[in-house]
Amino acid sequence: MAVDPLTTAILVVVYVAITLVLGYLGYKKTVHAEDYLLAGRASHPVVIALSYGATFISTSAIVGFGGVAANLGMGMIWLTVFNIGIGILLAFVVFGKKTREKGAETGALTFPDLMGKIFHTPKLQLISGIIILLGMPLYTAAVLIGGARFLETTLSISYTTALLGFAVVVAMYVIYGGLIAVMYTDAFQGAIMLIGMTILLILTYIYVGGVTAGNSALAAMSDMVPEALIGQGMTGWASMPELGSPIWYTLITTLVLGVGIGVLAQPQLVVRFMTAKENRSLNRAVLVGGPFILMMTGVAFTVGALTNVYFYQHTGKIAVVAAGGNVDSVIPLYINMAMPDLFVIIFMLTLLSAAMSTLSSLFHTMGSALVCDIWGRGQKCAISLRANQIGCVIMMVISVVLALAMPEGIIARATAMFMGLCASAFLPAFAVGVYAKKPSRAGAMASMIIGAAIWFLWTVFVHTAEAKVLGISQTLTGAVTILGAPWTVIDPLIIALPVSLVVMILFQFQSRNDVKTT
Amino acid sequence: MFSVFGITDPAIWIGYVLAIGLALACIIYGAVNWNKGAKDHGS
Repeated sequence: MAVDPLTTAILVVVYVAITLVLGYLGYKKTVHAEDYLLAGRASHPVVIALSYGATFISTSAIVGFGGVAANLGMGMIWLTVFNIGIGILLAFVVFGKKTREKGAETGALTFPDLMGKIFHTPKLQLISGIIILLGMPLYTAAVLIGGARFLETTLSISYTTALLGFAVVVAMYVIYGGLIAVMYTDAFQGAIMLIGMTILLILTYIYVGGVTAGNSALAAMSDMVPEALIGQGMTGWASMPELGSPIWYTLITTLVLGVGIGVLAQPQLVVRFMTAKENRSLNRAVLVGGPFILMMTGVAFTVGALTNVYFYQHTGKIAVVAAGGNVDSVIPLYINMAMPDLFVIIFMLTLLSAAMSTLSSLFHTMGSALVCDIWGRGQKCAISLRANQIGCVIMMVISVVLALAMPEGIIARATAMFMGLCASAFLPAFAVGVYAKKPSRAGAMASMIIGAAIWFLWTVFVHTAEAKVLGISQTLTGAVTILGAPWTVIDPLIIALPVSLVVMILFQFQSRNDVKTT
Repeated sequence: MFSVFGITDPAIWIGYVLAIGLALACIIYGAVNWNKGAKDHGS
């Protein structure tokens, strides 16, 4: 379906103009470094919720994971359960309030700064900053590539132009407007995402004949599951895979647990809690955040699975086959084939919003990690507004270069990898840090280093999905992985996080005993 | 066969019930605690 280029151009220009105006408002309100880094610690609850949600949900969550649902079915809904239960309720109610209180108490301005101040050592600030600078550029490059590829096909422009244009627009408001601009634009982009996904759900159920008829039609297609997937435990698109099968392990450990838990200790999200003036703002943000996430991932996974019904009715093929075997192409193909012209443009803006809101936060977090946490560690974090702006520019340039240089195979894995690394390295130390009266410094260091190291080793030597693409195990040992099934399909997070947690707990009890005996 | 909106596998429809239920729980939590935590009593 051809979309009118003039209408597309007008809507894109209006969208970019509103984004830049909001960026300018952020710039006008940014006077001190604290404004730049923490939005002056006075954000509105709706802005916090939409900004958190829009940053949380990138293009890969909608297009990538929606495509996975087209391939593996509605079992992906369990990721939505984790997204809301852990990513919103647990994150805001259990961690968010304590994080805000500790942030205000210590005067911390970034996530690594918070870690350093809770544990009273700049070393932890440095280690956290280094982990961010090692892991986050990969994820950023993935978001950049996703956005640029999408713009390339929709606007018919070259990939490099799309990549640079995309990065420059985001750069303009992040560099000048800091976190206030990031959160204002996030909220605007979050609202567009909400509209886009609501229309997508309604139209999809209309196309497949209604809720019950559509779901029944999907369930009745179980005999069309490809042989290769049946062999790995797939039973249909409206039923769970066989318990303990390779697909079950991938669905549960990598997708549901890996991504679901991984969201808890992401620095760019944790910092949102510190922008709240009071706990009341976080309570109010929960009211918006839960339904928002349901309408993002819940809709993406449901529609993803239901595209099988649509494609079968219109082409006689299942979704992945209709998309030429490329899971990432299912959602864009479905939108272009099924949806009215105007919605194709709205959905394009939805995806652009998802990419921009995530990207802006990543640029901002990496810039502050470089300037506050590595260069200026242990000093007053916010050295100057200008220094932080320069930090953002440096990290943007690195991300763009990475995006241009990285092979796409590894980039596609980067989202899950980054989330796994963050949870394995940061989560136990962060959880004990915000809750314990006297958190163990040695425990935090050991937990972070061991968590990151085990995650890295499992990624490189055991988990096939990454080990195969990285090729390090093949080079060093002559084998793609050093262990056999089922370990090769168990996500690195499932191994690294419990070890990191046990280490933190052991040190914590040890330090408590030491205090008691002295 | 028992089904919920055309879905017969309980492992799937329970997932949907939980996802929607948790989103409702978020709304209720936010509404009930709308004015709680107004002061910096925790810090």
